[in-house]
Amino acid sequence: MSSSTTAAPRVPALRAKDDRVARKSLATRILSRPEIGSLIGAIAVFVLFCVVAPTFRAAPSLATVAYSASTIGIMAVAVALLMIGGEFDLSAGVVVTTSALAASTFAFQLGLNLWVGVVLALALALGVGAFNGWLLMRTGLPSFLITLGTFFMLQGLNLGVTKLLTGGVSSDSVADMDGFAGAQAVFASTLKVGGVGIKITVLWWILFVVIATWVLLRTRVGNWIFAVGGDDAAARAVGVPVRKTKIGLFMTVGFAGWFVGMHQLFSFDSIQSGGGVGQEFIYIIAAVVGGCLLTGGYGSAIGSAVGALIFGMTSLGIVYAGWDANWFKLFLGVMLLLATIVNLLVKNQAAKR
Amino acid sequence: MIRSRKTAVAVFVATAALALSGCSSSGGAQKDDTSSDGGGNVASTPRVKIAMVTHAAPGDTFWDIVRAGAEAAAKKDNVDLNYQGAPEAADQVNLVQSAIDSKVAGIAVTMAKADAVTPVIKSASDAGIPVTVLNAGGVDAWKATGAIGYFGSDENVAGQAVGTRLSGEGAKKVLCVIQEQGNVALDARCAGIKTTFSGSVENIFVTGTDMPSVQQTITSKLQQDPAIDRVVTLGAPFALTAVKSVADAGSSAVVATFDTNKELVAAVQSGDVEFAIDQQPYLQGYLAVDALWLNINNGNTIGGGSATLTGPAFIDKTNIDRVAEFAAKGTR
Amino acid sequence: MSGDVTTPTDQPRHDATVEILRLDDVGKSYGNVHALRGVSLSVRQGEITCVLGDNGAGKSTLIKIIAGLHTHSSGQLTVNGEEVHFSSPRESLERGIATVYQDLALVPLMSIWRNFFLGAELTTGSGPFKRLDVKRMVQVADEELTKMGISVPDLERPVGALSGGQRQCIAIARAIYFGAKVLILDEPTAALGVKQSGVVLKYVAKARDAGLGVIFITHNPHHAYLVGNHFVILNRGNVSLDKARQDITLEQLTNEMAGGSELEALSHELSAPGVTPEPATALAAGHRDDER
Repeated sequence: MSSSTTAAPRVPALRAKDDRVARKSLATRILSRPEIGSLIGAIAVFVLFCVVAPTFRAAPSLATVAYSASTIGIMAVAVALLMIGGEFDLSAGVVVTTSALAASTFAFQLGLNLWVGVVLALALALGVGAFNGWLLMRTGLPSFLITLGTFFMLQGLNLGVTKLLTGGVSSDSVADMDGFAGAQAVFASTLKVGGVGIKITVLWWILFVVIATWVLLRTRVGNWIFAVGGDDAAARAVGVPVRKTKIGLFMTVGFAGWFVGMHQLFSFDSIQSGGGVGQEFIYIIAAVVGGCLLTGGYGSAIGSAVGALIFGMTSLGIVYAGWDANWFKLFLGVMLLLATIVNLLVKNQAAKR
Repeated sequence: MIRSRKTAVAVFVATAALALSGCSSSGGAQKDDTSSDGGGNVASTPRVKIAMVTHAAPGDTFWDIVRAGAEAAAKKDNVDLNYQGAPEAADQVNLVQSAIDSKVAGIAVTMAKADAVTPVIKSASDAGIPVTVLNAGGVDAWKATGAIGYFGSDENVAGQAVGTRLSGEGAKKVLCVIQEQGNVALDARCAGIKTTFSGSVENIFVTGTDMPSVQQTITSKLQQDPAIDRVVTLGAPFALTAVKSVADAGSSAVVATFDTNKELVAAVQSGDVEFAIDQQPYLQGYLAVDALWLNINNGNTIGGGSATLTGPAFIDKTNIDRVAEFAAKGTR
Repeated sequence: MSGDVTTPTDQPRHDATVEILRLDDVGKSYGNVHALRGVSLSVRQGEITCVLGDNGAGKSTLIKIIAGLHTHSSGQLTVNGEEVHFSSPRESLERGIATVYQDLALVPLMSIWRNFFLGAELTTGSGPFKRLDVKRMVQVADEELTKMGISVPDLERPVGALSGGQRQCIAIARAIYFGAKVLILDEPTAALGVKQSGVVLKYVAKARDAGLGVIFITHNPHHAYLVGNHFVILNRGNVSLDKARQDITLEQLTNEMAGGSELEALSHELSAPGVTPEPATALAAGHRDDER
């Protein structure tokens, strides 16, 4: 349809056979990556806070920023994959709380080793993802609606089950249970590197981003993710397992939610059943700032990491700069907007070449 | 013959099911009774419906205690209590309106966002439904609504008490952690500290629903300003998180908090949190319902036209063991 | 059953070519709506069977049955002499039937080489290190496109940046590379300009020369007559004409195609008065479809 309008001026490209060798320059190729704009935005934010906030430059502060980015980033990388696959998950924030509550409740109520709770929570989180994906494929409704339903269901379940079992709205502390020390080492420990405490989530985050990038760009599954997000009818027509791919993506978000949930459980011992609400948008924002298209089919895992970093730097940088706390949200909004505009400018610049 | 036998079986099954379901529910309730306030006789006044509408965000332990108090009063007074919570003022207004529409006998309501809920409270009073205001906010505004009483702590007064205490300890700089931006009551607490504290007070906003970010934000503030020697949080879970931030930042700041919960009592016992200032939420819930019952059945009002304060009360090492007993039951 | 009677194409064609796909009296109804009734046609290696018809004539239902998106409710579908009932596009693909849909052929945001191999990616390595063989895929895509005479400057370019004709050609080249025996082309020229249509028709002919059986769906008799060996016209779910190329002229085909509606036939002739059955001029006359 639109092709008939674009067709005419491009005809020469068909004839000009020799043009094939003339590839785009390396710089242009780098500039056309989805994450590059946000990377430049991130550098701009970094430089800004380095200038205005002296404490921001200190190593312990940077470690705190990295920690902040990691707790958003682990989720954002999964959410970015899902968005590239053309779907949203509004239950992404609440599933974190659900899995943390599930792990602690299973283990606490049944007096089991915490690792059993951790594994059961993983099964539950994957199950929630699979349910979202299955329902999406089954009904064909927008994922926005389906996961909104799951969002409310989980929110109610979190509170309802917690109240039923503990009588309160937070789970019982699991700090003195079997397996706590081991699980804490895996999910919530702090590594001392030259006197600076680096949270282990930072390392996990980097690992997840590397894996996600590899999967996206260098595996069949990655190809399928781009395809189902770009045009699922076309993908289905050439034999891409659309259903499996999408369900898998929702389960990936479930996995990430489980991981962050375990981090929260083992760093705070007890979990507030109302937590996680509103976080889903921060994950989506991180993915979008990092270059994911809201319409799917385009984006990158590294971009989501950069987006999470921008969010972490901005939200804590404002604190390090000592700016008036009343204006915090305004600053946050302005910074995110600026980062996104830089992103856009870079992308347009790359397209012009 | 066969038919009647079938009917008999059906009736039997139905009764058995009813009996079973009845059993388990009453069993649970009885268990509740003995554990909370030892049973007690139920008032002989006619059963009435009372709605309680708070601005509780789901997941804040504080409101469990308020609700426990309200339910204890309801049980004693033969009241059918309908408890609802909505953090958004607009939702809260709708809940109050629907309580009015369903012609309840009385309404207990919080006024965290006083301006938003004042009109609907007025219309309840105008409709002849007695209203009590509880908890925080509206300590000045409640009178204009036609409500019959106010049961809560004056947040500002509570803050002042904290400020005085911290000054006495020789603290220099206080960080006041607000977990919900735009909440009048939370602002008033920090403002109260500021009025009586001899040093300086700085406010910081955190996202209450995201614990890691609460921890990160407090950590970064402590890194940015090493002069901070007191962190005051406005909710028990955040105090426990602030303790972790203090450790992360390598700061020597001491943590104190408003409100309590089970875990916090343990933290005060262990010395991680220096003190908690309590507004006795159980009492707020209890009195708000009880006052309505008294008003409905005997035309009484409590407080003589001024607010009935339920706090502030300090919980620290000196009295923690006694409070701990009640806290374990979820009533303190 | 009635195939011998209703497919006169059987007799005049030389028997050297092999029949790959055959429909006998195939019908499809959705509830009590008969979208397709008693359609019989035959697709032979190295030949192009054109299916013509106006909107709503049942062309897309026919494609969907052959492509495995729908199952036919009556009649027989035979592939290489074996009767089949497709329940998914995969089954159809596995039997060498490739469908190039007008709109669904490619994912616009993905690069050319990724599109070329989508769903059938080449991999290297094993276990967790099984990965895309990017180098080989780029190389093969480049070779195959060159073989078809398609030239694109950069295989990393997203397909969405290409012209409609180029996209169709890539889809056709892909189908040929992946060993399609039957190629279904769903109105490949409908949204294209004159020159672009010419380019696409060239590749359709190339596919035929490569030994594929082609089903060319169109509502443009001029395009059909340029390349077709057989012509089947669908009208309201029925076959209204079924002729081999030597038994029909372009003029007849155009008239038949216009069939029921006299008015359309008239306007058709008025808009292109110089049309002769001679192919080159027919294309140059710029007959375009105004329906889109």
